[in-house]
Amino acid sequence: MGLKILIVEPEKCDGCRDCEKECSLFHFGVADPDLSFIRIKEDGHFGSFIPVVCVACEEAPCIDVCPMNARERRENGAVVTNQDRCIGCRACLYACPFGAVQINRETGKSGSCDLCREDREGPRCVKACAKQKALLYVSSTVVRRIRGEGSVETIKQVLRPQVKESLS
Amino acid sequence: MRVLIVGNGIAGETVAFSLRFRRPEVEISMLSAEEVPAYDPCSLPYYVGGDVAREIVFRRELNDYKKHNIAFFPKRRAVSIDTEEHLVVTEGGEAFPYDKLVLAHGGSLFRPPIEGIDKKGIFSCKTLSDADALAAHQGTRAVIIGSGAIGVEVAEALKKKGYEVTIVELLPWILPTLFDEPTAKRLEKALLGYGIPVRTAEKVLGIEGKDRVGAVVTDKTALPCDTVVLATGVVPGRALAETAGIKVGRGIKVNERMETSLPEILACGDCVETFDAFTGEECCLYQLKHNAVNQARVVVGTLLGGKERYIGAYAFARAHFFSTHAASMGKTLKGVEGSLGVEILERERDGDYLRLIFREGFLLGAQAIGSFADMMGLLMAMMWRRYNFGRVREDLENLRSRDLPYPWTYGQLVGILDGRKELL
Repeated sequence: MGLKILIVEPEKCDGCRDCEKECSLFHFGVADPDLSFIRIKEDGHFGSFIPVVCVACEEAPCIDVCPMNARERRENGAVVTNQDRCIGCRACLYACPFGAVQINRETGKSGSCDLCREDREGPRCVKACAKQKALLYVSSTVVRRIRGEGSVETIKQVLRPQVKESLS
Repeated sequence: MRVLIVGNGIAGETVAFSLRFRRPEVEISMLSAEEVPAYDPCSLPYYVGGDVAREIVFRRELNDYKKHNIAFFPKRRAVSIDTEEHLVVTEGGEAFPYDKLVLAHGGSLFRPPIEGIDKKGIFSCKTLSDADALAAHQGTRAVIIGSGAIGVEVAEALKKKGYEVTIVELLPWILPTLFDEPTAKRLEKALLGYGIPVRTAEKVLGIEGKDRVGAVVTDKTALPCDTVVLATGVVPGRALAETAGIKVGRGIKVNERMETSLPEILACGDCVETFDAFTGEECCLYQLKHNAVNQARVVVGTLLGGKERYIGAYAFARAHFFSTHAASMGKTLKGVEGSLGVEILERERDGDYLRLIFREGFLLGAQAIGSFADMMGLLMAMMWRRYNFGRVREDLENLRSRDLPYPWTYGQLVGILDGRKELL
């Protein structure tokens, strides 16, 4: 069974940005995409949309580089910033292979998807995306079925780079 | 199996606790020269500057060691290793037995051989006790000797506390191991904007004053001050290993499994010398937190008979002061000097700056200031995957003129690189 994971299927995203609004509404009480932990990036090269959100890497580089030990893994698997420790240096953002860490414009501190904490309804962005289904909140076994081993390997490569192997 | 760990820094602490989480039955002992639980040296300047409380610097509580059945021996400085009898002897003459020994005692501050270096009012920011002394000190004018990450961070910390601060750097630009001159000069300008003058290519000749610091004398001038901070870099601690007959270079030599020349003795953290993750070059020292953590993970794997191999050390660091944000990863131009096929790509926008270093189409390093730094992780992911940027460079040229939404997305970069867009 294992933990549930938030996965993204960019090709299904139509750029409606409801997820951004729901995210900021849940976390900050206002529908302001600029506060959201999930961001829809418009791919200028292809004209498509890419939801960018923390995927809570197994060996998360943001945890390793944080000088203040502010990046913490929660019990639900999410990797979040402890706001009491964060000094706003952005090391987590610079180390993230997805650029998925957000900097709060008021506090200057970092933040990322907390999977809507332990909320019974699950992540709000997934609810907001019920029609397009570009965002899914599923157990890790389901991920394998959806993505196929090939893509899982691709993701693993990004997250746990083994440059020596690829050279040989 | 009895595992003895020398050192309670990031590397030692990571070995102890991850080993414990993976194997409840292994006997783990740890010697520490200090008396406090593990703390994060990177966080010390922010404690000195008052950004965070002292308790924030700690990674563990003393209680955690007992709770996880790790025998913690504070104030035990290891001075020798008996490799025949498998014993580590401390300064106080105690002997600690081991089956496997992990050397993670780090390095020590390089104290430049200049006159007057033992006067009162001279501080550093390497250990927690150094930081305690600096935080308690009440001065008004400080000279920081050395402009590495710690030097710049301490300069910011003291400036915030109301000091007048000047940085003196021997080399022609600041943060010389992280940045090339064009990037560093922009950061120097930013520092000056915050009221911190930087004096580069200037050699400190001595520190004047009766018994207290009165002035720092350089080859160009005398800088009156009541506080001096040494930020002159960290020398790997190799004496302990060297006297035991273990092979050392600039640091303790280790293989891909983090074993020293004696297989029952492993080493990780600031005391080791490894190889570069991207170029494979030996004699590589990047004394950075993520390298210590990665090395510690390999040590644990090796101790448990796993197949983990170290991928190599790499530079990745941010430079952050006041509202200036910059980052660097991989090689600087200086670091690849003399090799063929090196090319530089630069971008500038609204005062932000990006500098990419390629060799034969492959990205070897990147330096960025401002919003360009936000894409550092994406660039690093591509460096790991060894994308050939040769083809992509033309596209990068086009990007500027097309004025794409900014910052770039992963999809954009990956898409540009290989024409695919399905990658998350």
